[in-house]
Amino acid sequence: MIKVRDIVALLEAEVLSGESKLDEEVKSVGASDMISDILALTQPGMMVLTGYTYPQVIRTALVTDLLGLIVVRGKNIAPETIAYARENDFLLLRTRSYLYSSCGKLYATGLRGSDVGK
Amino acid sequence: MSENNKLARYAAIFEDIKAGEIMSSNVVEISADKKIAHAKELMKIKKISGMPVVDENKQLIGIISIEDIIHAFEFNKINDPIHRIMSTQVVTIHKDDSLADVVDKFENYKYGRFPVVDDDKRVCGIISKEDILHGILEKFNLIYIHDQKRTSTLNTEYSAITGEKLKIEEAEFHYQIDSSDIDAAGTGAAMLKQFLTGKSFHSDIVRRVGVATYEAETNVVIHSRGQGDIYFFQHEDRFIVRVVDNGIGIEDLDKAMKEGYSTAPDYIRERGFGAGMGIANMKRFADKLVIISEKKVGTQVEMIFYLPTQTWPLI
Ligand SMILES: Nc1ncnc2c1ncn2[C@@H]1O[C@H](COP(=O)(O)OP(=O)(O)OP(=O)(O)O)[C@@H](O)[C@H]1O
Ligand SMILES: [Mg+2]
Repeated sequence: MIKVRDIVALLEAEVLSGESKLDEEVKSVGASDMISDILALTQPGMMVLTGYTYPQVIRTALVTDLLGLIVVRGKNIAPETIAYARENDFLLLRTRSYLYSSCGKLYATGLRGSDVGK
Repeated sequence: MSENNKLARYAAIFEDIKAGEIMSSNVVEISADKKIAHAKELMKIKKISGMPVVDENKQLIGIISIEDIIHAFEFNKINDPIHRIMSTQVVTIHKDDSLADVVDKFENYKYGRFPVVDDDKRVCGIISKEDILHGILEKFNLIYIHDQKRTSTLNTEYSAITGEKLKIEEAEFHYQIDSSDIDAAGTGAAMLKQFLTGKSFHSDIVRRVGVATYEAETNVVIHSRGQGDIYFFQHEDRFIVRVVDNGIGIEDLDKAMKEGYSTAPDYIRERGFGAGMGIANMKRFADKLVIISEKKVGTQVEMIFYLPTQTWPLI
């Protein structure tokens, strides 16, 4: 079982919000910058890697019961986005790692996307 | 498009549907040797305007209508047997007839409904025009009606899917969409989701309602250039969500239904919208979806979600 905590360590990520989720299990991972893709492809218990940092992304994630978001490439995140995530105790991480490398590192742990049967 | 043209168009798309799949099977029939007075009573109780007439083998031999009965009254024949006055020229539909055949019958004869018979000429159902539309809905979980003329279908008090009454003032949840603020897009859906979570519905249906409503709401904000509303109704075994706007309408609904089609401008795409997946997502997450749109009048999205306690056939 892979926990949020393990991902934080692996990607050397900052936890910007949602500290209470660190011991939850990550069931699958996805990556997208498009809102409708996130809504279509994600499942509960999933973490999504994204370069998308508008506050809207948090609302999207909340609507679809995402476990958390990982913002890649150390991008700047609007304070509103972080505030919105905190208000909802939503798990928001940030890593310096690029999207491709982040995906590779997570895939190597055995985590799969929503297109691969469990 | 006239009513019949529209039916003809559906018929072409859904040609593999058989009459037997869309007919109403609780048909009221009557024996030919019964009195006309008896037919009159039955029609009054059942609130129908005509009935198939059958012989002792239950085979269809005629049809009796209100006009026939009025006629019988005039000539004091109300206690005569039905076979004396029924019309014997009955136009029937066979249960294996295709939808196209059915539509042809409606075009060629001006009757409102037709009895459906099997190989033994026994009555197994009845088909009205409404049955055609409902049959298609049932079978495909989805239909869109792009109608230039019938404004009345937009924003009426009746469900576009089930025909049941939806009183806006009786909605369990209402949210007025603020189209001027892109950053607020989806707030209504998030609130609706919270509302349902608070009522402790199963998380799966709550999530499906949330996602589909989010897509409909963001479309109003991003594309409609008008104002809109979200209404939520709970009816026994189902949730009904209606998202309406008074904006520009969907230019080409056939295209809009396709995954990947989007007219979103670049500044919208930068914000993560515009994958052209919104309507596809509504279809994926709702059990039934109807979109009615008219240029310069607006768009109405209606979705049904069945509550999980009941097992519904997967189509
Ligand atoms: N309420 C509406 N008013 C006017 N046009 C609409 C409306 N809803 C949808 N459309 C049109 O239908 C197209 C397809 O909508 P859809 O939701 O599938 O994709 P999108 O909104 O463009 O992208 P996405 O939903 O993936 O962010 C839109 O690009 C737009 O042209
Ligand atoms: Mg959309």
